[in-house]
Amino acid sequence: MNQPSPPLESSVSATWLLYICKACGLIYNEQEGDPDSGLLAGTRFADIPEDWECPLCGVTKSDFELYTPPDLDALKQASACAPAARPTTHFNGARELPGIVVVGAGKAGWQLIQNLRTQWPDAPITLVTECAGDVYDKPLLSVAMSRKLDGRQLVKQTGVEAAAHWQVRLLPHTRALHICTASQTLRTTHGPVRYSQLVLAHGAESAMPAPLHPGLCWRINHLQTYQRFLAALGDAPRHVAIVGAGLIGSELANDLALGGHRVTLIDTQDRPLARWDADQAGQPLLAAWSNLAIRFMGSVQLQSLKRQGAQFALTTLEGETVLADQVIAATGLITPNRLAKSAGLRWNNGIEVNAQTLETSEPHIYALGDCISINGQSSRYIEPILRQAQTLAAALIHAAKPDAVLTNTLPPYSVRTPVVRVKTTSLPLTLH
Amino acid sequence: MNPADLPPELSNTPELVLAMRQIAQGPLAAQVQAIDQGTYPREVMQQLAAAGGMSAHLELPGQRADFGLAIKAMAEVSKVCGSTGFMMWCQAVCGLYMQTSNNPDLMGKVLNDHVQGLRLGGTGLSNPMKSFAQIENLLLKATPVEGGFEVSGTLPWVSNLGPDHYFGAIAGIEGQTGQELMFLLRCDAPGVTLKACPSFSGMEGTGTYAIHLKNLFVGAADTIASPAKPLIAQIRAAFVMLQCGMALGVTQGAIDSMWAVEGQLGHVNQFLHDRPQTLQAELDALTQRVMQLAETPFDKRTEFFIDVLDARAHGAELCLRAAQSALMHQGARGYLLSSEVQRRVRESHFVAIVTPAIKHLRKEMARLSAQEMPA
Repeated sequence: MNQPSPPLESSVSATWLLYICKACGLIYNEQEGDPDSGLLAGTRFADIPEDWECPLCGVTKSDFELYTPPDLDALKQASACAPAARPTTHFNGARELPGIVVVGAGKAGWQLIQNLRTQWPDAPITLVTECAGDVYDKPLLSVAMSRKLDGRQLVKQTGVEAAAHWQVRLLPHTRALHICTASQTLRTTHGPVRYSQLVLAHGAESAMPAPLHPGLCWRINHLQTYQRFLAALGDAPRHVAIVGAGLIGSELANDLALGGHRVTLIDTQDRPLARWDADQAGQPLLAAWSNLAIRFMGSVQLQSLKRQGAQFALTTLEGETVLADQVIAATGLITPNRLAKSAGLRWNNGIEVNAQTLETSEPHIYALGDCISINGQSSRYIEPILRQAQTLAAALIHAAKPDAVLTNTLPPYSVRTPVVRVKTTSLPLTLH
Repeated sequence: MNPADLPPELSNTPELVLAMRQIAQGPLAAQVQAIDQGTYPREVMQQLAAAGGMSAHLELPGQRADFGLAIKAMAEVSKVCGSTGFMMWCQAVCGLYMQTSNNPDLMGKVLNDHVQGLRLGGTGLSNPMKSFAQIENLLLKATPVEGGFEVSGTLPWVSNLGPDHYFGAIAGIEGQTGQELMFLLRCDAPGVTLKACPSFSGMEGTGTYAIHLKNLFVGAADTIASPAKPLIAQIRAAFVMLQCGMALGVTQGAIDSMWAVEGQLGHVNQFLHDRPQTLQAELDALTQRVMQLAETPFDKRTEFFIDVLDARAHGAELCLRAAQSALMHQGARGYLLSSEVQRRVRESHFVAIVTPAIKHLRKEMARLSAQEMPA
């Protein structure tokens, strides 16, 4: 090794700097030097020969960078102020009492927790959710724009507040990955969680049939994506293409147009809301929209979706091209099957459950909300969730305490054809 | 002998696993403590390779690739010696790089010698894998020159190396952001220096060195892939999946050492949690999951890769719990410096921290799970 320059006199006493090895994390302190390799105390980093090696892992000087030690108090403070990123711990019974574990903090998850807590004050409950766990009304996402609601105004209670209120251990920003049925463990991105009873309430996600692609079009199915979509839209009026003129697509078209944007609503059918054939709502709705900047493109098949400069080009099989600033997929919902598959749950157009108890085909695993199916029928509305949560709370309490007398005995959940209210404010509709 | 006369446990065991068992419980068991303290087991490695223990996952003349079998072979050896199980993985993935390279210079005799264990090698992909997962930056830089590249930089801690070994490495190409060169780095090439590492708490005989490169010339003959990312995308699941062999084997070794004291200590051990039958049930379920994943090692779907990462994380977590519980079960005798039980605690720590470590696995699963949105 070359001879290093003589160390600075400490009287020169500029601040001693620290340098960190990017490979192993060793810190070179100029004040201390590295006497073992011939660098006397006080050797400036700049004066270290290029062929000097990290005394721990052997990489050379070029793999070091200036290091400013963090203020530990500030770090601890910041970590204490950001509880949403960490699990809240309202009980410590993880090993001894795995308790009830709920996956999903949407309406179904929170409604069940509310029902359970009311009837079983000391039930150990853990809530695992991919989002922050904030409580909000999802149906409002398709009318929030015209009401000038940003994401924060939609939140009725943050996940942390709700967890404290309902005495729930919350694991926010945590993805549930796999169910080990034999050991009754849910595997997550924040480690394994034991359960005595597991409830799947993870809902459904927007379908994305080709040529739609998640990198090119929005799915307004969560508060977080709604906020990101609003940010992408910006303040100026834009042209938004919505693919799918069902319930959500029609509500969003109505809402965006009232919010001052231009909308092209695209569907394979010749009118909106065509699925509710008996109601014949499509034509009256189009008529009600005649004064809004909504163009309905019916009876077309999308062939491609591509970026074109800052915009997106949608081309139909019929040869027409639409240039839009943003694209929204409203092409229906599909139920994610990762967890169900990992546990070998019976599947029939969703997680098959017993209507009496909402139990799946696997003992100790239950489900409710948008992810379930009964006799092959899924249901993606709010009203059934309220009744499902009552049935399921009773079933869970019975499973844990077979002798307990329930304060209110409920009939099993029964499937009813829902009445759908469409929040197309230009022409509010009720579909059957 | 008629296989039907064998006890059912043996008759279901593949021949390769039996061959591994014979070497592991014979010559390997005799030097396992020396390996922990620094002896590189060259001969045992060569015997294990010659018996087919590090190539069951490769397509070879007369052999269909069988990742499940490769994992079982590693597990069988890891039960006795975690260090050797780890080096089998190093040799196995290095062979995978060669075979996937489609470079005739790295297949044929070079690959054949590798498969036979005549030549040994490792993998320096810890840093690039972390770089692709956005955890750290690439440490090696390749500069284009006439006929190839010149590579410089330093890689800390590459295992299963020796003066005449080689390993798969990746360097970022200067001036071409996002472009990488993957190559076979020969330890005896001009410009390459092996530097001894400081002492680790265990697994010292794994031939682990820091590698200094100064203007190492890499030509077409040693190129595995350029660009490297398509090849990495092709083998990433297989790379991680093969590591499960270590976890499954170290866990099984720990469970076996709990049973070994059950007769004498069962009356007190029954008060412990993570009892051997509980851990065995969990290990069996995990093994079944890994074997199922091993049927489609080149499935490129993100959801499949998440499953592989999760199985690997489960292996590491189970390994930690089993090794820890084995020490609780064995008590003071397991704490003796000569005891396999305390050695296995350190091996389990290695399984949990070697790239991808539990924290890397979880971060990567979270990253891959995040819903894609328009930028």
